[in-house]
Amino acid sequence: MVNQIFYLITVPMVYVAVAWCIVGIVVKVARVAKAPAHPFTLKVFPDKDHPVPSPVWGALSMPTVRRHNPTFWVFLILFHLGIAVLILAHLDLLPWFNIYPEDSEHMIGNGAVGVVVTTAILYFLLRRFASPLREISVPADYLLLFLLFCTAMSGDIISWANSWSENGFVLTKQDFGAYLNGLFHFSWADPAEAIDGGHYVVLVVHVFLANLFLMVLPFSKIMHTFFAIPLNKLRRG
Amino acid sequence: MSDYAADKVLDLKGLPCPMPVVKMSQEIGSVDVGQIIEVHTTDPGSLSDFPAWAETSGNEVLGSEQGEFIKIFIKRNN
Amino acid sequence: MEAKLKQELIETFGERLTKAAKMYLDNCSRCGLCIEACHAYASSPETRYTAVGRAQNIRRLYEEYFKKGKIAKKLNEAVELDDHWMEKVYETAYTCTGCRRCMTYCPFGIDTGVIQGIAKMLLITADQEPKTLTMLADMSIAKAKTIEKTKENFAAAAKNLEAEVLQRWRSEGGEEVVPLDVQDANVLYVALAGKHSIIPAAAIMNAAKEKWSLSYFEAVNFGAFVGNPAKTKEIAGRIIEEAKRLNIKEVVICECGTAYRVMKHMSGEKPFKVITFAELIARYVEQGRIKLDKSKLPAKVTYHDPCQIARQGGIYEQPRYVLGQLTDNFVEMTPNRQANWCCGGGGGLVAMGEKDFRMKSAKVKADQVKATGAEVLCTACENCHTQLSDLNEHYGLGVKVEYLSDLTAKALVQD
Repeated sequence: MVNQIFYLITVPMVYVAVAWCIVGIVVKVARVAKAPAHPFTLKVFPDKDHPVPSPVWGALSMPTVRRHNPTFWVFLILFHLGIAVLILAHLDLLPWFNIYPEDSEHMIGNGAVGVVVTTAILYFLLRRFASPLREISVPADYLLLFLLFCTAMSGDIISWANSWSENGFVLTKQDFGAYLNGLFHFSWADPAEAIDGGHYVVLVVHVFLANLFLMVLPFSKIMHTFFAIPLNKLRRG
Repeated sequence: MSDYAADKVLDLKGLPCPMPVVKMSQEIGSVDVGQIIEVHTTDPGSLSDFPAWAETSGNEVLGSEQGEFIKIFIKRNN
Repeated sequence: MEAKLKQELIETFGERLTKAAKMYLDNCSRCGLCIEACHAYASSPETRYTAVGRAQNIRRLYEEYFKKGKIAKKLNEAVELDDHWMEKVYETAYTCTGCRRCMTYCPFGIDTGVIQGIAKMLLITADQEPKTLTMLADMSIAKAKTIEKTKENFAAAAKNLEAEVLQRWRSEGGEEVVPLDVQDANVLYVALAGKHSIIPAAAIMNAAKEKWSLSYFEAVNFGAFVGNPAKTKEIAGRIIEEAKRLNIKEVVICECGTAYRVMKHMSGEKPFKVITFAELIARYVEQGRIKLDKSKLPAKVTYHDPCQIARQGGIYEQPRYVLGQLTDNFVEMTPNRQANWCCGGGGGLVAMGEKDFRMKSAKVKADQVKATGAEVLCTACENCHTQLSDLNEHYGLGVKVEYLSDLTAKALVQD
């Protein structure tokens, strides 16, 4: 019974979550694209206050945050860069990607990137408990960060902490690669057969939380991933 | 000399925009229907503002006089 | 609240959901960066006086009526629209001056003005908007019809200003001192009702030998203050029609911030240019068409950037350039330009009265002015001027609040 649930989580649910996420994003973006344009400019001046005055730069480097809250900015940059690296690191698990050598035991960043991201999430979460941020936060803000924190934490356990055991790595880049490659090729194979050991349960937890996250994403403010650039474009006219 | 016997005189000289009309609309209730307020102002714009205001509020500008300052006579109609 | 009204309000909300509005409502991360941006919060630290606090009042309605999912609504604190919540909507609309300083803090650049616009439209639909603002907007609209009957009186009043204009600048004989209805003029100067917005400007334009014409209409647009786009358009339309009729090259807006933003940025394409009077003065000085005497302003001077011409219009350097010709004793306030604190009087608050809130919410502005040690506080917006004068009195700042146009006119050098 437990094995069946684990299989449902690690294989079919991944497909459902990914499909759900993509359709959700497309629908959400389409709804905004379909809405009428604002009748007048929403620009603020001066509109060229940066050597690279592009909305892309504004969205990625967050100059307003750097100016007004440098500590928060450092964590934001670490978090977003970290997420970008982690996306790449997950792709790199596939046996035919190989940014890190195929026979490496570690994934990209040797687990450290995940820890940085987790720390940043913890900071985002904790600062919400302090006034005045507490007054403006809604339950969804805490829950989303908590979900992210748990996803990242479980990821840290399988990517970094799993090298702490006496016998070295419990799960390696190749183990995860085999699982991901199976998913990629729709082999419908049960990863439990290839991956063994106590950390398998943590992998299931990690995948379950990531699935949840993907399914929530189109309905959450994480949609700013897709809207940050158009939003910055409005400010720049 | 004005042709109208005012029941109340309102000094709105030198006020910033849009205070003359705001003050007028607040004060019109302080006289009875049929009574007349005499407004003193230094704003040239008042000569077009007050008739337009009277039009929308259902009151009546009886006339105006220009001298050292501007006098406008307004009758409360409702 | 009656079901029918509620339905109407939800429809009104829906009509305001432009691309921008949707993105602003959907993507706020409540990171709290905007909290520090608002002068009202800086003066009186309550989160209801923050961009995010005000936006949440509207966003929570959006979650209820334009989003699906019971759980999601709970988690996002969706609320029903009722009489109590309309009070919150009012707070969103009228504790904000529309200065958009928060937009320069927000990583996404969320424009509180757009969200405030939804709040203002809901109040209009519910007949709960400040009646003073509607009264003023309606007056402006009615003027389009009554103007023909009152033109003569207005022209006589303009004529009566001649002596005062000539005191500032002696025009050559034969020239109209305060010209009206000048066909093919370079400049249509749109003033306010008060003579203080006409006399200095007339003297300066006459000194520069400009071919100009005074508009019959007032520049200010109360349709924008009350947040009614149809009325805003109608009010601006009177001036646009006048400028077209006279075949004007440039419409110059007097020292009134809202008037400038509406005419320049919110009224679509026009067959003429729109500039502020501060820009025109700067041009005259630069081209040597007027000369200014620095000895006329023997005081330490500072400048307040009006939000509607500065952050919303990019007019930062021209007023400073003119002040540089008026005094050697100029001092900036900190912060200034894009980061300048709002005076606290915008968004209709001055017209509505609201003196207690205006004074309470602008303490940070008073402190900022005090810190400059200036004796003269110059600005280029009537609304700011009124608010700054009230602050001056309330907080005992001991400054003289002056218009840029007036300082310039007083310093004109007659050869």
